[in-house]
Order: sequence, then structure tokens, then C-alpha cells
Amino acid sequence: MVEALAVASGKGGVGKTTSTLALGMALADEYDVTVVDADTGMANLCFHTGLADADTTLQDLLLDDADAAVEDAVYERFGLSLVPCGTSLAAFKAADPTRLREVVAELAADTDVLLLDSAAALGSQSAILPLVLADRTVVVLQPTIPSLSDGLKVQEYARSYGTETAGVLFNRVRDDEAIDRVADQAERYFGGPTLATIPESDAARAARRAGEPLLAHAPDADAAAAYRRAADRLEISDGDEGAVADRFRSAVIPDSP
Amino acid sequence: MSETAVAELDLPRGTLVRSRVGVTGGLDAALSRDLTGYARIEPDSLLADGEPGVLTFEDGIPVAAYCERGENGSQRGDSRGVDALAALAVPGPCAVELFELPDGSLDRVHDQPSFTVPPGAPAEELADDAALAERARERAPAAAADRGGTSALESFLEDEERIAAIQEEAREESEKRAAEWGLAGELEQ
Repeated sequence: MVEALAVASGKGGVGKTTSTLALGMALADEYDVTVVDADTGMANLCFHTGLADADTTLQDLLLDDADAAVEDAVYERFGLSLVPCGTSLAAFKAADPTRLREVVAELAADTDVLLLDSAAALGSQSAILPLVLADRTVVVLQPTIPSLSDGLKVQEYARSYGTETAGVLFNRVRDDEAIDRVADQAERYFGGPTLATIPESDAARAARRAGEPLLAHAPDADAAAAYRRAADRLEISDGDEGAVADRFRSAVIPDSP
Repeated sequence: MSETAVAELDLPRGTLVRSRVGVTGGLDAALSRDLTGYARIEPDSLLADGEPGVLTFEDGIPVAAYCERGENGSQRGDSRGVDALAALAVPGPCAVELFELPDGSLDRVHDQPSFTVPPGAPAEELADDAALAERARERAPAAAADRGGTSALESFLEDEERIAAIQEEAREESEKRAAEWGLAGELEQ
């Protein structure tokens, strides 16, 4: 089985990478989970996982003359299979984002859940591709109007490619009282349930500084417990890996303009 | 710009001290100079229904808000307090003019609870700047934390028409860009 989920937000600073890794680690209790840093323009998964010096990354796999194998860019850490993305601007410019589809197809053959940490932007082909390729999206929001507006926008972009919302995470929540009302109201507009509301957390910042995912750095933090609840609520679909891989390969995506 | 917003909030005419584009800069400047006075905020948005509004300050901290547009029960009309923030939180740049007033001249306006907003809410909802919101909350008097009642976000989420407009606009934009990026073939039929 496999399901590819794009973790998206529409704006930066909402804790998307923290959320992707936390959700991934919580899901890893039950599933084989692969996390891909598909935010190729502003890669940062490597900094959250101590992989800043990784020899081979997604960037190497996206080069036109790539000679690295996909497995060379997969790192087993924290109970996850991680595919970090390098941060070289030159390599970003040289990358062919459409090769992501082949990479994802190959990774899909060998995992249960594929999480694509997606760009916090909608302004380029490479930023959109994870939304196009994924089966569903998890939308990470902060409880503010700008974040909700951007989240609604991301959802609509994904839907236009037939990618529905699996659920919503409210992150960096400060006002416990209002958030339940907000989450109830928001559910009317989002295609999936509110998976959890995650409290603003010093532990998340400390984890990032330590180069570790939150659930490894502070497994007992309130925020960590909230991510585990989110994973419990997220119903993973039982996709056939062959069919999913074929779908990725057959996605008609032209050369980048 | 329309004078309606200033008139509705019954503000005395202030002295213009700053006129720029950008809410973040305006709120930051008000905080830095301990402004007592008001900001006139005019959205310069493609959304045709962006209307001007006013945000008042006491010693640099936001206190009261009014917007010429918003939900008023089932009627479209003006809006106050956090509802006004929701109405003003439109995407795109805003022109912000800061006006200074003598100390104490806003006391009567600030005594009307229907207009008041939490001190950090304008930075969060209009400028999307959590750090600036935190600075405003830290500097605000303790009593200000209770201002505002339900949140601007709740007011925003109640406005189904506005959310439908955001979704429709995003859908159109996505389809247009799909064509530019050669992804039109992947769009759901």
C-alpha cells in the first residue's frame, strides 16, 4: 500500500517542516514512512534532521545528467526514510523539477506513506508539482486570517488538479479557548477534518536548533502529543503501489519552461 | 480617500506624520514612536470590495478599529472592532497614513467596547507579523488583553461570501497558471 500526501501551507513560518516530520514520526509507529523535502526552492528538512552535510540529496536526483540512484539520497533516521534536498542555488537552477515525478514514483514502490514537504508558495511549476503529484494534501495553518486565506488558496490549487484535502493542522496555537470554535468553523471550508491543534511550543524551536525532529527531541512535549493525535485521526488510504507509481510516471508534465 | 471612516469613529482631525504603503511598516512606526492617534488604512487590492478603515492607537498600541465594509448581521455595511480587522485583512498592499493627536483626545472613542481590538491582532491579521504582534502585546497595559471578544478570524470565517470569492479567485488563478506552466493536461476535468 502507499499514499502520497503533500504537506502544504501557502505561506512560510507556520511550521510546515516541523509538522511534516512530526506527523511522519507519529505515523511511523504503524507505517513505513518516507519524507521528501519537495520544497526545492527553500529546502530546510536537512536542518531539522542533522542532514545538512548529506552527500547526495534530491537536488542530485533532479539534475538532467543525474548519475545518482534514488536510494543514494535516502537516509534512515528517526525511524523514517528521509530524502533531504540540498540548498545550493546553482543546483536549484540546474534542476529539472519534472524529474520529481520519477523520483516519487520510485520511492512510492517501497513505502506505505510518502510525505512531500511542499513549498510555502504557489508561484512556480516546481512549487506546484507536489500538489499535482500527491494523492491528497495536509494543510498546515496558523490561526490567523492571512494563513487561513493562503490555506484556502492552496486547497483550491490542489483541488484543481484533483488532489483533495486529507486534513488540516492548526499549528502555533496560542489561544486555547478560541481555537476550538475556529477549527469548527474552518471545517466547513476545508475538505478534511481538523487533525489537531498544536500549541505554540518552545520545544519545537529547541528541536530545530538541535537539528532533530520534535518527536525525537521532546517526545513528551504537549505539541508532540498533539501531533500523535493528528496521526491517529489521519486515515491513510490503501493505494496500490504499482498503480500509484504508474500514475506518477504517466503524469504528463512538460519540460520546465 | 473617503473621510467616512474617520467620521464614523468620531475622531478629531490629527496631524499627518507618516504616509507609506505597507501595514507592517505603519504598525511598527506607530509602536516605535508611541503614537497616540490613528492610522487610515486603504487596501489597494484587486478585490473590488476593499474599503478603507481606521485603526486607533494609544501610546503605540492598537486600541480600536472601524472599516467601511463588513458583515453587519446579514446586511453588508460597516464593521467595528475585530470585525473591522477581518474586513481590512485583504490580500495585497495597503496605503497607511498615520495621524497624531494630543494625549487623551481618544479617551471617549476608546471607551466604546464595540470598537476595541486585542493589541496584537492588527499585526497578526493585517500584517501577518507574529513578532510585531508579540511586541505590541508585551508593551500593552494588562487590561488590554481582554479587549476584542471573539476573534477577527472567527469574523472572517463567518463571511461565507468572502471565502467563496477567495476560493473562486484561487481556482481561476490556478487554471490560468496551469496553462502557463504546461500543466493544463493535469487539471481535473
